[in-house]
Formats: sequence, C-alpha cells, structure tokens
Amino acid sequence: MKIKLLIATLLLGTSAVFAQVSKPIEMPYVDYPIAKGDHDEVAQQYCLICHSFGYILNQGQKSRPYWTGTVSKMVNEFKAPIPKEDQQTIINYLVKHYGYESTSGH
Amino acid sequence: MDKINRRNFLGAGLILGASTLLGKETSKKIITDATGEFVPPVIAFPEKKPMKTISDRPPLLESSRDIFSQAITPNDQFFVRWHMPDIPTYIDLETFRLEIKGSIEKPLALSVDDLKSKFEPVEITSVLQCGGNSRKFYARSGQATHGVQWGHGAMGCAVWKGARLKDILNMAGVKGSAKFVGLNGLEKPAVDETPHFFREMEIDEALSGDIIVAYSMNGEDIPYLNGFPLKLIIPGHFSDSWVKMLSEITVMDEYRKSFFMDVAYTVPDNDCECVVSGGDFEYKRKPITIMKVKSVIGYPTPNTVIKKGSRINVTGVAFDQGKGIKEVMISLDSGKSWSTTTLQKDNGKYAYRQWNYSWEPKAKGEYVIMVRAINRIGNIQPMPDEIGWNAGGYQYNGVDAVNVKIV
Repeated sequence: MKIKLLIATLLLGTSAVFAQVSKPIEMPYVDYPIAKGDHDEVAQQYCLICHSFGYILNQGQKSRPYWTGTVSKMVNEFKAPIPKEDQQTIINYLVKHYGYESTSGH
Repeated sequence: MDKINRRNFLGAGLILGASTLLGKETSKKIITDATGEFVPPVIAFPEKKPMKTISDRPPLLESSRDIFSQAITPNDQFFVRWHMPDIPTYIDLETFRLEIKGSIEKPLALSVDDLKSKFEPVEITSVLQCGGNSRKFYARSGQATHGVQWGHGAMGCAVWKGARLKDILNMAGVKGSAKFVGLNGLEKPAVDETPHFFREMEIDEALSGDIIVAYSMNGEDIPYLNGFPLKLIIPGHFSDSWVKMLSEITVMDEYRKSFFMDVAYTVPDNDCECVVSGGDFEYKRKPITIMKVKSVIGYPTPNTVIKKGSRINVTGVAFDQGKGIKEVMISLDSGKSWSTTTLQKDNGKYAYRQWNYSWEPKAKGEYVIMVRAINRIGNIQPMPDEIGWNAGGYQYNGVDAVNVKIV
C-alpha cells in the first residue's frame, strides 16, 4: 500500500509530549479508489464536497432503497445542494458500483 | 454554488489538483478481504501512528485489535471520528476561548490557562466508545446496518484531566429558568445550511456527576485529532456527546431540536432499544446514552497460528456504563464451556478492566475463543445471534469471538 505520509512523519519527530504545534498540522490526502463510468464525475462533484469516498467504500454493498435513502438524507438533513436529476444519477451510480438492485433491504 | 463555503470548495479543488501533480499513488483496484469487504488503507495522520483510515475527510481512523491488550490506549493509537469536513488545523491558545453563555448571570470566556488555574483539577480514567463501534458484527450474525462498518477499533480508554463542568457552570451562575445545556465545538460543515454537530444534555446532568472539560489526555495535551485543546468527557456514555475542540457552552431554557440529537445516534425508544418488527424509523426515537457491558479480545488476534504445547496469555479488556465489571468468562470451544479469567488492576469504574487467561492448547486444530463479561448489576453480554438489532448499528455488545489455529 503506497501512502502519502506528508507532514505526519515530521510531526512525530517533534515533541511527543505537547500537542500544541507552532504551525498548522497538515492532513494527508487519501486517494480512495473511485469506480469510473456511469457519471462518476457527478457523484464526485457532490459527494466530495462534504466527505471522502471512504464513506461510501466502507459501508459494504447496499441495496437501491438504501442508497436512495442515503442520498435523500444528504439532501434533506445535511442540505447538500444536489439538483433532483443529479440525485438520481448518483443513486444509479452507487447502486451499480457499490450495491445491488433490490426493492427492499439494506 | 454560493451555498458552499468558498474556502472548502477551493480547498477540495486544490487537494484534487495536488494529488494529480504528485501522481496518484494508490492502485485503482479496490482491495477487499476474503468476505469482499473493502480494506481501508493504513496511514499515519498528524500525532498518530499508522491507523486504518476509513476516511481522510472528515478523518475516521480505527485502532487495530491488538490495542485491546493494554488497559490504557496510547494517544497516538487512539481512534478518531469527526463529523464535519472543516476542522481547524491550528489553534492559537493565546486567542482561543471557551465561551459560556445563555441563561447565566455572568458570561465567561475562558482560556485553557484559566481552566487549569481557576478550577480544581480532576482526573478520571474512562472509556471513550463511538456509538457505532463494532457495527460490522451485526452483519455477521444478521442483517447489515447503516453507516461505515467499524470493527471493534472505535474505542479506547484514557486518563482525562480537566475542570468539572459543574464548577464552570457554577462560576457563570446558572439561572433558575435553565433546563438544558448545549455544547458545540469548532468543526464546521462545508455547506452553511448543514446542521452543526450540536449536542445537548439536561441541566441536572450537567450540574452533577463526573462530567469534565478535559485539557489533558494520558498526561499530554489532547492530540489535535482527538479534539485539542478541550474535549468534553462524559464517563460511561457513548462518545457522540464528547464534543471535540469544545468552544461553546450554551445554557438554555428550552430544548433545541437538532439533527444529531433527534435523528442521528438514536435507537427505538423501547426496553430492548431494538427493532422487534417493521422498520426502525417507525419507532419513537431516543438518543443513545449509557454504554452496555462489553469485552473484547486483544490477544490472540484472528487467524493467529499457535504451536501446540506453547503457553499463551489470552488477554483483553472489559467495561460497562460505570457499574463495574464483576467477571469475564472465556470459552475455548466455541461457547460450549466457560472458565473464569483473572481480572487485573482496577483503574476505576469507568475504565477498561484488563483480563487474562493462561492457555496451553493440547491438541491441534481450529479453535474459537470467546469472551463474555458480566457487570455488578448482572448485565451480561448477549450472544451475537441474540442481540437486539437497530438500523443505525449502534451499541453492539455481542460476545466477542476470535478464531485461531493450533499446529
């Protein structure tokens, strides 16, 4: 597994006793694998505003009702600014690459 | 697009751009284990050893199982779970203040030095556990649940030091009309309209008990990713109310509805806090609060190969909501017979109680080691196929099992 350690190793080299650092910590960027096709660019454009693709990959394979409910939650509860037609594109993308067709279940 | 905070939007673009310039290092192929589950990369974040990185933004870092062979979890291996993508990466203690406001006589703006010098310091050793910890085990014995599928590694135990919340509130002078206390930290959403990670508790709870505003974790400053410089400590409770980078305490006369109190981190409001029939959200909700009795195995880890005749020290930790662990039982034959383990030093009623069992396997083959804790009021861990289910996958405390091979 190849990893961008960036500044983390530098910080480990400084004081281990005090968390207070003299300059901003730098967070590593993780290049999570994102399945291509079926308008992955729409899913990326909106999902990545608030969270990494790790949130999707680490849920396991989910049903169409599950992903539909999750996209609704992002729009209705978290106020993600996703137009209606793009919501459906994202749901279809998630079901195809990270889920399965089903009328019920999780 | 004007709804999105410009800084975040630009930030995301810059990150994507930078990664392109640096060259994409991770393979396009999704790495999965034998059961088809995604295997998160293991990455070192600031002040942390390499940990399972479920997400980098917001950061969700899981500890590995071997951490449960220690009664105190080191800061650099302690799990991390944020809810919002915009987290300060630098806090200047010269200007940082904890504000106390609302239905009080005297609004306060306290520096970390004020908290250290103007209040009696209190130390408490307590488990911190995510409400969704061990969630993936619901799927092993039944229906999968919502949310990212944590293993056991969204919990740890540390020595927290700080000022009592009630001492802080008493200095501010709570008005007679006050009924709730709202707590807010510095993490912010990317979209202005997204609900903040705002938590509430009843005023009586805030004014009693062991709740502290901590400025120290295991004798050090709290790591940034665990909530530097201040974190609310609610011993015995799940971590959803342990607000990180605590910056505001608002005393309120009325309850304020909020997504994170009323919808997220809730379970059915019935005795089993579980779904008996139908759908989860057909039930009246209640927020998860106190933890349930639980024990996990730290050593051996799954699929460990052990030489026949060698003596090994099976060890792990157990805890509950603060009643205290009475006994941890162990089975080496998939649950057919049970023996008592030896409980180690008592670090307080809210702490991990480490347990040990000396085992000398006499025969070759596959073994399943199971542990089951019982507390002083008789609460016992359910077997995995007996546990009550909820859609959020909260409060999992089924009997832990680890398979090993004796050769």
